[in-house]
Amino acid sequence: MSDTGENYTTFNSRALVEVVGDVTDEALKATKIKQLLSVLAGRFFNWAGRKSLFTLHLGIKCCAIEMAAAATPRFDGDRFGVLFRSSPRQSDVLLVNGPISKKFADPIVRLWEQMPEPKYCIAMGECAISGGPYYQSYNILEGVDTLIPVDVYIPGCPPRPETLIDGFGKLREKIIRIGGAPSTGRDGEKPIIVGDD
Amino acid sequence: MAEMWITMGPQHPMTHGLWTLRVKVDGETVTDTEAELGYIHRGVEKICEARDFTQITPYCDRLCYVSAMTWAHSYVMAAEDLLEAEVPERAEYIRLMAAEVQRLASHLMWLGAFGPDIGNLTLMTWCLRDREMFLDLLQELGGSRMHYNYPRIGGVKRDIPIGWGNRLKAKVKLFEHRINEYEMLLDESTIWLVRLQGVGYATAEDQLNAGVTGPNIRAAGVNTDTRWTNPYSVYDQVDWEPAVEKPTSVKGADCYDRYRVRMEEMRQSCRMLLDAIDKIPGGANTHYQPGDEMILTKAPTRAPEGATGFSTYECTRGVSNFYIQGGGDGRGKNPYRLSIRSPMFITIPYVAKTMIGYKIADIPAIMGSFDPCIGETDR
Amino acid sequence: MVTAVTKEQNAEAAKAVVENLSSRFSDAGVVAEVIAHTSGKAYDFVRITCSPDQWRGVAKHLKNEVGVNYCAMVTGTHFPEGGADRGWEVAYHMYRWPIANVAAHTMTVLEGDKLKGDEIPVEFEIFIPLPAGDTPSVPSIQDIWEGADWNEKETWDLVGIDFEGHVNMHRVLNPHDSPVAFHPLQRQHKIRYHDFNEMYDDPQGFGRKPVDEGRVK
Repeated sequence: MSDTGENYTTFNSRALVEVVGDVTDEALKATKIKQLLSVLAGRFFNWAGRKSLFTLHLGIKCCAIEMAAAATPRFDGDRFGVLFRSSPRQSDVLLVNGPISKKFADPIVRLWEQMPEPKYCIAMGECAISGGPYYQSYNILEGVDTLIPVDVYIPGCPPRPETLIDGFGKLREKIIRIGGAPSTGRDGEKPIIVGDD
Repeated sequence: MAEMWITMGPQHPMTHGLWTLRVKVDGETVTDTEAELGYIHRGVEKICEARDFTQITPYCDRLCYVSAMTWAHSYVMAAEDLLEAEVPERAEYIRLMAAEVQRLASHLMWLGAFGPDIGNLTLMTWCLRDREMFLDLLQELGGSRMHYNYPRIGGVKRDIPIGWGNRLKAKVKLFEHRINEYEMLLDESTIWLVRLQGVGYATAEDQLNAGVTGPNIRAAGVNTDTRWTNPYSVYDQVDWEPAVEKPTSVKGADCYDRYRVRMEEMRQSCRMLLDAIDKIPGGANTHYQPGDEMILTKAPTRAPEGATGFSTYECTRGVSNFYIQGGGDGRGKNPYRLSIRSPMFITIPYVAKTMIGYKIADIPAIMGSFDPCIGETDR
Repeated sequence: MVTAVTKEQNAEAAKAVVENLSSRFSDAGVVAEVIAHTSGKAYDFVRITCSPDQWRGVAKHLKNEVGVNYCAMVTGTHFPEGGADRGWEVAYHMYRWPIANVAAHTMTVLEGDKLKGDEIPVEFEIFIPLPAGDTPSVPSIQDIWEGADWNEKETWDLVGIDFEGHVNMHRVLNPHDSPVAFHPLQRQHKIRYHDFNEMYDDPQGFGRKPVDEGRVK
């Protein structure tokens, strides 16, 4: 293995793949096929992603019971593709359903960072939006948006399961607009508050 | 063999709330545990020192959110003790019925969360579907599916609607058949029996010394129940028995006994409801306006310094107490100190000790069978 | 139909407990009295007031002679205006309940009106006033009732009352990295936006006068 730079006479498989990849990339860019493919792939992934929003199985407080109720036969979030995953590495949406205390601030940021892009955050219930009835508490942060960029706010204490499903609908509309934009680059977006229209 | 500490939580597939259980394992066997609570400590006791007595009821709903009506009832009983308010009998009957419907809904939520812990996902859909029936009943009373803010100091907020009694009777009678369905699904299932029997022994005396109460003690063979040892409301006038279960071994009750005692408690709640709706003074089909003296007596709003109020209440998970000292804010409008005793705060460390010696796979079974609810634990 | 404990049984049991305690402790200054609740069924309970040095003796007597088997609640309160001898107070709530250590495959159904003597349930409230100061402390009863263990941890965590002899004291509700000596339920710590409550005291301003112009409240 040569670490002194390129030595094209050594048929190292890694170097070969790189070379072939570079050449193909240049060819696709020149013929504008790459542009077309990324538009199509982007649209496809956007469609697949918004139709199957995997939510992290995180239950903080009362709104978690309404989140569970939204998965049950009467309200059935599963028909919209909303499924609960136990691991943050496999989920798209972090549904924050309770107040964030000082002790939980670190774990929730860690969970958010463990989720792969594209990821979205929904603040469900008053406690997650602004601290809720505990806004005066010494231990509760005033909303999860002090830590994590929130995409959709769902007011209510607790919001009914139908409201939560509507919140997922508003998130789907937002995903059509912003697609795979990374979560740090969404500052220009106006926050969506369910019930605001 | 090297032992290691594994952290389960705060985000974990066990569905019972936000807490961390650190287990020390030697292979698959648990050798030591440590429970860590406080992830949703909201400082409710401090906030309530700046709230009027009527403003505290919504906070009490949110303590144990699965069982909101019972916690609000418990607080209101303590506030009535402090403010020396009387409650009309019809209001007591309505409160009893609301608390028992809530007990049914809470046990269904427990079963709906316990089943998936063991692996039976069917139970979640069935139980939460049946729970919706009772949430509809409570919604007619309180206006919301959870967090009703329904009991008032001196009575209840509004009377039962016309027809509520008939709906209650129809739903309870249907539900009694549904309990048979659950038992048919579970009691003959080998997996259920193998996972629950022989796991998590706890004796009654041990539990009471440690502060564990409620269905967990009744599963160990003695019918200790606050509703008859420290009677309140009209529990001595309706027809019911505390649900008791014979423990499987001298070592105490196992998880299967705790599951069976809650099924039996659901049956007793149904029995209580059918009896109470027939005995309610004024009849089930009359509707009194809010504020009528049949359902609410005007209570004083201030408590002098030095007055105290204390309530003993059988919540769905154990005995809950509220201790209120009056005289806050110099004028007595707020409590000087409101102290809340949550049954689960004591049970969770006890259960953490019970798990020692079993396998990792038994942890959700043992923890789930004691029915934790972290909202009341971390006030 | 379950039979509940009757008021007569309860009154008689409470009186018997108070006699027992008074005969043993009254010359040491421990006050035991029967008080009735002021609402609902208005049952009696036993209220004991003692000083911190007497507490362990009283506690052991309660456990062994009176039969108190359930320590429910430990509450600490801070009284900055309470005077020199009641700057802090610890309130214990306990019960004596009939319990049976049950053999396998049997159960014990207790009936309220058949209970006699020591089996009748009694509720206890124990007040321990502590002198004002920065270091309130009470002997721990962790070894007498196991239920007192986490209750005492919580009382220390939130109120700051020390429990002498308590093994493995640590923060349970506040984060572990809270500042040392931060005990939020002490009165000098105010809740966030505590001025708002004063504002909302008279929201329409009916009590305002021209001299209140410019004031928040």
